[in-house]
Amino acid sequence: MIQTLILGVLLGGVYALMASGLTLLFGVMRIVNLAHGAFMVVAAYIAFFLFTELGVDPFVSLVVTMPTMFLIGVVVYRTLFPRLEGSDRYSEMTVLLTFGLALIIEGILGYVFTGIFRSTNPSYNTDAFLIGDLFIPKGQLYGSVASLVLILALWLFLNHTKTGYAITALTQNRTAAQIVGVNVLRTSTISFGIGMALAGAAGSLLSYLFTFFPGQHWQWIALLLSLIVLGGLGSLAGAVVGSLLLAVLAAFVSQWLGSTWSPLTFYLALFAILLVRPQGLFGEKEAV
Amino acid sequence: MVEVAREPETSIEPPRPKSRRSRVVAGVVLLLLLVLLPLSRPVVGPTFHYLMQMATIALMWVTLATSWNLIGGYAGYISLGNNVFFGVGGYLAAALLVYQGWSPFLTAPLAGLVGLVLGLIVGLITLRTRGPAFIIATVALLLMAALVFDNWELVGGANGLSLPLPGYPREWARVPFYAGMALTALGSTWLSWKVAHSKLGLGLRALAQDETKAEVLGIDTRRYKIVAYALSAVFPAVAGAIWGYSLTYVRPSVFFTISIAAQMVLMAIIGGRGTVAGPVVGAILLVTVNEVSVARFGSSELNIVVTGIILIIVLLFFPLGIVGSLRQRRKLPAFLDWD
Repeated sequence: MIQTLILGVLLGGVYALMASGLTLLFGVMRIVNLAHGAFMVVAAYIAFFLFTELGVDPFVSLVVTMPTMFLIGVVVYRTLFPRLEGSDRYSEMTVLLTFGLALIIEGILGYVFTGIFRSTNPSYNTDAFLIGDLFIPKGQLYGSVASLVLILALWLFLNHTKTGYAITALTQNRTAAQIVGVNVLRTSTISFGIGMALAGAAGSLLSYLFTFFPGQHWQWIALLLSLIVLGGLGSLAGAVVGSLLLAVLAAFVSQWLGSTWSPLTFYLALFAILLVRPQGLFGEKEAV
Repeated sequence: MVEVAREPETSIEPPRPKSRRSRVVAGVVLLLLLVLLPLSRPVVGPTFHYLMQMATIALMWVTLATSWNLIGGYAGYISLGNNVFFGVGGYLAAALLVYQGWSPFLTAPLAGLVGLVLGLIVGLITLRTRGPAFIIATVALLLMAALVFDNWELVGGANGLSLPLPGYPREWARVPFYAGMALTALGSTWLSWKVAHSKLGLGLRALAQDETKAEVLGIDTRRYKIVAYALSAVFPAVAGAIWGYSLTYVRPSVFFTISIAAQMVLMAIIGGRGTVAGPVVGAILLVTVNEVSVARFGSSELNIVVTGIILIIVLLFFPLGIVGSLRQRRKLPAFLDWD
């Protein structure tokens, strides 16, 4: 019982990191990034090759994956998104656009790396701390702690730096932010880059916590989207709470019904929240 | 959001005078073509089976894209999981054949009915939200269906069900499937035309432009959306019943994949979302392109990449699609003007 809870919470921390980038993009720019999972898998491949070719630890690979994904994010944002600006249904358009992007990434990854299941295997991954008869896997603990540190850093950045204020201002009111002198294009580009860098970090962790293959990103994105709808689209706190809640729930479902059915928890929770509170736990009515 | 004045993406301008006769002629020619195609056997010889198969596939995609257009085009609510109904129809007919011995051609209408009811239920839940949350719910719906059918032992899990062979005479073996799919495609196109010319269609186009304003005008937007969604589920289910039978097996990977969802959306958008003829044109075009590209490159991975690239290019540069762009420039030939 407590054991399942611990495992759920540890996994929830990692989910929270994965979801934070996604919810940031929606909050700041109303972009639903269906390619988020695909970008995570790209970063996972980078981490995988750094580990197998150069022996770089997945945590050290954050130094590579985060800036790389930031740059990719900046390029992708600048080339694709400004054209959609001012479209009647901007959010829907971004869904289709990132859907296309996800297909392209999946196809290229599949072509280059084939569909083989991969995973890095650092020494701590199979190790665990034992406290009494409780069992705390080291890999998941480290991953969870790293995730929370990154989320905390993101929160501090948003609330204590000038760029962070500008990003927060965009979240609240895009037009008003522009009037008071926020450079919307620049700030949006940085936000998109940060969102992608978070996906990069998540990818590094994913590379050893889970096995991955090119087509897998659909499962990830569906899971993450369920999390942020539950938490309230665009809310960082909501993403963290939603992640922890659902990860714990999924851990119990997995224990009772077998791991096959644990993804179902996320989808059913999504439909349940749409029935009860369509704007999510932390969402404002307008955002939906 | 920055408000920028721009051309509305789907226009509700009053129907302008157009030559009625050329449309009637076009309709008759199309119907004749559909009827005459199976009779071409003595002329085309050994490629007849291939011809029938390709026509069946094209008609199936016409059905899927046209149905998607009801919710994704007219109402502007993008659904990325409408192939769930396609799969449910396929599985229902397959299970009834395997366990009861009923022909899928007889149970196909039943599949359509089940699709309608299921669409209504799913719509009631997912359409409580506007915009992005709806799309997310449809993705979740698709992955949930894939998970359930992958693990449901009664219908064979990931291996699916093998269906008994129909035992038609060899030389005409593909014709019944062709005929069934042709009827389904005609049905879905007729439904699309009917909706476009009804109060429902007008309401849907209004809410696609501005839902709040549509509501203020007294349109019961929620009911309109749910009806459109339920209708968009009917013919895909019928098509699924026939398609599964023609393959002689049903399997989750035949129906519940993201790439099928992507193709449906892409066809409707390339042809022109929110128009009657658009999805038909888009479906036929993309089936042809796919057939050529698979024959040439033979790789499904690269095919996915091409699908993605086309989707992005169309979205950024031709958001109105072929039919929509031509109409905007007043260059749409009368035989394609079905609205």
